[in-house]
Amino acid sequence: MKKLNWLKLISGLSLALLVIPVFLLLYEGFGPLRDPIGYGYDVLRSVELTLISSAIAAVLSVALFTPLAYYFARNKNSIGETLSDIPASIPHPIVGVAILVIASPLTPFGKFLLSIGINFFDSVLGLIIALTIVSAPIYIKSMQPFFQSMNIAYENYALGLGASKFRTFVSVVLPNSGRGILSASLISMSRAMSEFGSIAIVAYYVLQQPFYGVNPAPVLIFQYYAYYGLGAAVTASAVMILVSIAMMVILRLVKR
Amino acid sequence: MKGDGQLIEAELKKKLGGFSLDANISDEHFICLTGKNGSGKTTLLNLIGGILTPDEGHVTLNSKRITNLLVEQRQVSIVTPESCIPHLGVDRHLVWGAKNKGLNIEHDYVREIKKSLGIGFDGRVSKLSLGMRERVALATSLIAKPELILIDEALSNIDNHTDFIGAFKNLASKAKIDVIFTTQHLEDSSQADHHYRLESGNSTRLF
Repeated sequence: MKKLNWLKLISGLSLALLVIPVFLLLYEGFGPLRDPIGYGYDVLRSVELTLISSAIAAVLSVALFTPLAYYFARNKNSIGETLSDIPASIPHPIVGVAILVIASPLTPFGKFLLSIGINFFDSVLGLIIALTIVSAPIYIKSMQPFFQSMNIAYENYALGLGASKFRTFVSVVLPNSGRGILSASLISMSRAMSEFGSIAIVAYYVLQQPFYGVNPAPVLIFQYYAYYGLGAAVTASAVMILVSIAMMVILRLVKR
Repeated sequence: MKGDGQLIEAELKKKLGGFSLDANISDEHFICLTGKNGSGKTTLLNLIGGILTPDEGHVTLNSKRITNLLVEQRQVSIVTPESCIPHLGVDRHLVWGAKNKGLNIEHDYVREIKKSLGIGFDGRVSKLSLGMRERVALATSLIAKPELILIDEALSNIDNHTDFIGAFKNLASKAKIDVIFTTQHLEDSSQADHHYRLESGNSTRLF
């Protein structure tokens, strides 16, 4: 008789715990609990806003935090690493409140922003900033092992040829990090797409064209649940799951 | 003042875990460093190149103390079997270091180096074989004209490496660049001007 592989069995059960609710939601959302509101125009606009704002947040993470991830990969700095984890490890409504306080007339910085017409509340900008702050730690954590696995001989060779550390980073490290950056930014974008806590405070809906009155998708699902009940919320969730699965497939293809 | 070569003086001590290095080199031109695995060859080159910081001692290159200089300030190029700028094509790679230093690219010189070192191939460096990559990395270092080239086991994967070492020595000598190279092949030392052996972190000058 074939010996039972316990590890395989336990792993299968663990995986089932993760995926069964997702597939159940897909089944219910497009099956028994299907509600046309859940895949109506508002949901599609909301998914569009979420995709665009999450993609911009991922691009900002790449532009602003790639050097930091590289620094952490090449220099042991446990205090800095812990600090960079804070936005991801605190309850996310706190991030939303913090953004509102920083950009409010209560602070000199907020007064300055408002004086030049920059408003974070219920704006695409506020939404993108909140998504960047909560997803950047995920980007940094994904890029750090990538840089650590990159052969340091390339950098030492470039430095020995007289290149500065900055030039080495720009001309040697970055051109050889394309796949890592793409993969980490997709992970970060996926995280941003699922954000609710901070954006429910900063940008429950957006009051700017071309997304005037549009809610980010996680907020809209919550709103549908509160107003219409389970059916619309489950169908809208199923639509969002399909988008997330598409993202995961792209990520897998990139990682291959 | 730059003479026929640089006078390298290194008196270095370094403890790494349970390993202790205590080595001296005082010579010029083409220097061979041999020793078994774990004898401290790479550690010594990394100390001279500035990748590691010594616990005690100093490195002097042509009377200029470089012990506390950053890697990029030393005029010392370090070449290991993995050294390269992977995304570049061969021709762009060869002049990368020289361009970086703002040197004028002498195309005849580049052609001479390519011919002497058997670089008759092209393509992205990351796609080349290890031996081809080592040829390109070493040629790039020569064209960048540092004062010293440290070669850590980056000759052994090259076909006909005895001939290659001879050609490389000639080119380095013409460019007045000193070289310290490590090798597992004792016979390579016959091409060197000086030979040091490392044993358990201690150096002995054989000639």
